[in-house]
Amino acid sequence: MMQQLLDLLLGDTITRFVFFPSFAALPLLFLGRASARTVKIYALLVSLVELALIALFAVSHWGGGTMVARDATMPWLDFGSLRVLYEVGVDGISLPLVLLTGLLLPLVLLGSWKGITKHWTGFAASMLLLTTGMLGALVALDLLVFYIFWEVMLIPMYLIIGIWGGDRRVYAAVKFFIFTMAGSLLMLLGILWMAWSYGELTGVWSFRYEDLLQLQFPLSQQLWLFGAFAIAFAIKVPMFPFHTWLPDAHVEAPTGGSVILAGVLLKLGTYGFLRFAIPFFPQAATQLAPWVVGLALVGVVYGALVAWAQVDMKKLVAYSSIAHLGFVMLGLFAFNEIAWQGALLQMVNHGLSTGALFLLVGMLYDRRHTKKFEEFGGLAKSIPWFAVMLVFATLASVGLPALNGFVGEFMILLGAWQGGLHWATGIATFGVVLAAVYLLKMLQETLWGPITKDENKTLKDLSLREVATLLPLCILMLWIGVAPGRFLEPSRPALAAVLTSYRAQMAAGPPGALTLSAPTSAAGPAATFVAGTAPAGIGSAR
Amino acid sequence: MNPIFALPQADWNSLMPEIVLTGVASLILLLEAFAPRLRPVFNGMALAGVAAAAAILAQQPAGLYFHGLIESTALTGAFSQTILLATAIGLLSAQGYLKRERLLFGEYPALLLWCATGLLLLVRGVELVTIFVALELLSVALYGLAAFHRREAVSSEAAIKYFLMGALVSSFVLYGAALVYGETGSTSLAGIAAALAAGTGSPGLLLLGFLLLVCGFGFKLGLVPFHAWAPDVYQGAPSPFVAFLSVAPKAASAVVLARLVLLATSAPSAGDWTKLVTVLAIASMLVGNLFALAQRDIKRMLAYSGIAHMGYLLIPLASPGPSIWRPMLVYLISYTLMNGGAFVLVSMLYAKPGEQHAIANLSGWAFRFPVAAACMAVCMLSLGGIPPTAGFIGKYLIFAHAIQHGNLALAVVGILASLIGVVFYLRVIYMLYMRDEIASPGSLKLD
Repeated sequence: MMQQLLDLLLGDTITRFVFFPSFAALPLLFLGRASARTVKIYALLVSLVELALIALFAVSHWGGGTMVARDATMPWLDFGSLRVLYEVGVDGISLPLVLLTGLLLPLVLLGSWKGITKHWTGFAASMLLLTTGMLGALVALDLLVFYIFWEVMLIPMYLIIGIWGGDRRVYAAVKFFIFTMAGSLLMLLGILWMAWSYGELTGVWSFRYEDLLQLQFPLSQQLWLFGAFAIAFAIKVPMFPFHTWLPDAHVEAPTGGSVILAGVLLKLGTYGFLRFAIPFFPQAATQLAPWVVGLALVGVVYGALVAWAQVDMKKLVAYSSIAHLGFVMLGLFAFNEIAWQGALLQMVNHGLSTGALFLLVGMLYDRRHTKKFEEFGGLAKSIPWFAVMLVFATLASVGLPALNGFVGEFMILLGAWQGGLHWATGIATFGVVLAAVYLLKMLQETLWGPITKDENKTLKDLSLREVATLLPLCILMLWIGVAPGRFLEPSRPALAAVLTSYRAQMAAGPPGALTLSAPTSAAGPAATFVAGTAPAGIGSAR
Repeated sequence: MNPIFALPQADWNSLMPEIVLTGVASLILLLEAFAPRLRPVFNGMALAGVAAAAAILAQQPAGLYFHGLIESTALTGAFSQTILLATAIGLLSAQGYLKRERLLFGEYPALLLWCATGLLLLVRGVELVTIFVALELLSVALYGLAAFHRREAVSSEAAIKYFLMGALVSSFVLYGAALVYGETGSTSLAGIAAALAAGTGSPGLLLLGFLLLVCGFGFKLGLVPFHAWAPDVYQGAPSPFVAFLSVAPKAASAVVLARLVLLATSAPSAGDWTKLVTVLAIASMLVGNLFALAQRDIKRMLAYSGIAHMGYLLIPLASPGPSIWRPMLVYLISYTLMNGGAFVLVSMLYAKPGEQHAIANLSGWAFRFPVAAACMAVCMLSLGGIPPTAGFIGKYLIFAHAIQHGNLALAVVGILASLIGVVFYLRVIYMLYMRDEIASPGSLKLD
């Protein structure tokens, strides 16, 4: 057991990059008296090592079309009839998000360099623990392990908002905590229900993702279970009407917190739909799809309209997140390959462009300690490099062709149209226009026009550190926009496998009573699997 | 030869952990009288005694000893180790406190060790008179410990309250034991079980006897409605001692209570014990959590939270059977660590005895005492049952056990109750981390 644990932590494994940040956070406990500079440099080094670990992992698993890697399974809680396995793996669905998480961590630390002025040890420790939580949730293949990582994300984010946030930080932090906790308790009940159902059929409770995928619930139960999972994920996404915590959390959170929140945490909601809610309960998902699509569209239009009305840059970007994730949800519930690919790509895109926008707003805030439009105007004249970056990130967010946002949105719209959601596609396209309206309004009010305030004349332009923070994001935005094929490559087989098994189950129709599908489903692609070598989508029925 | 010495060697061996603990305690008392200069190392000696007892316990063969008075099983071994762990916590955390308060006398470790002896016997006793004697041994030691800060009125008040409650418990247990013995003709649990299976005795009197016994141990556990003593005693008694009091006696009493409920439900004409246990569990969870919500004193808050935790612990008992032990054991171990840890930290952070332990006093101390605050935060998250802490594992096993045995309602109430709990546990973290400092820590030095 001990040996197994060491192998997992020290070998070239997923476990290593998941837990490395939290182990690296331990020395911070004893760096309490060290200068903030030491702590910052230490944390940055850790984050760079982490990025290197993830990048090496991704590069070595990128090629060869399909891609699955998983660690040796380890029994974690073994109580006879109640067994929980520590089981993690990465497939084409989680790989892009894992990579995004690894990329954002150093950028967030760099972006918080000046903005976080107190308790750097605590900030760095929270960020590193948060990273473990996010990565763990993305790679978990056992639902209880997933739940635990899901909750692990909660506490550091609560602290980040509550300690380093703005004036109403405690309100925002508690609201964030209660919303998320309420959702995840529902999900826990759903998970227990599924494990218990598996136990009823086989005599042994199981939380393994692949075991639970075999469960086929009758429609009435599917609707309940889908509801439990969907509400937890919808809160995280957030979908209208569960979105009210988001503007508060984003506005009050420090820049770094906002970037991580928008960049990764929200994605875990959409990821949860794609990984769990849809494959587990295909019939319920299809039956409720009109409702979900409807709410997604409300999110697109409502988010855009409210963003338009904002007088605060950060609030505008926060509401734009609701609109953008509405697109992702629309793509997911179109149930076809091109829409899913677009949705997955758009998750990454949103992390890049909205992350960059939050960083830019934070940089402006560091200089002027305000985010209100009325305080700005004509910044293009005084800080041209800042203006270039802001225009770049905004255009990516708007969906200008040749930048990343366009590819994702176009694929989603195309897929939605092909999926027969003609009305929805029309409304969502209207949402793209609205996005242009409010985002360009932001540019106009801050960058163009005459300089109205004297303070703005003498602002310092971006420092080298700030350029270094933004440049990787901009490069990726352009790269994905020009050559998206390379980025779509790893996810294609994994998504196709999920889709195949979804279609097979839809064709078979919901069972009359709880049943267990055959372990090797003829419908899915043959998933003969040898750890780390044989490529197969883990979404496929085993 | 005196017949008592004719007992087989195995019997004496099985009692070795208790003998070691009592021996070390007596030695410390003697040294206190004749070599008072050794006072600073008494706690260390006691700790060594606990370690020795734990080592002996670890390799005890299973079996029944002393003609069926005490038993040794893997299970009692595990519970005993938990109790020794709590004793070690009580000893370790007391050193600084006793020194600060100029109370560094040998009586503290000696009483604590005797108390541990009683607890071990309570866990292992399978005969009513043994159980009663063990209960008395530990109770008398606890009264002395509660009053240990003799210059403080609150400490004496706590001791008196605890004593009055304890006397009541003793009489309940004694009366109950007498009734059960009168009806079944046996004091050993196995004998009683046999008599019950044969249908001996009047069901009414038996029910009354078991009820009295369960009430007695319900008092010790602090279950609602027998909980009123806990907040006052916790608040007044020395904090390092509360770290022990709030966990070890509860672990042992829970074992006895579980044994009694298993025994009572084995009778063919048993009353509806499941319903009784369900009501006690739900009442304890709700009352404990709701009252804790209103507390401003951290020790009172932890006292009410302890009441709620005993409610969770009772959940498996609502479906009696051999499968109850595992979730209960895991829960008690995690409870020992998190609740004991919380009180240890309280004893460190609230230096002046007798003062109010206002939660608000912790405001902003996270950055003055980062390690202590981080530990406190972990204890609070664990008490709240939030992953990835031990508290979550314990709760998960308890709720999963309930679901497995069809007690879905109990599991749902438990989950809702723990959601209430999260609010006040988080309040401590909020105070520590998200407020500006209001109270000066004085000369307090930590980390």
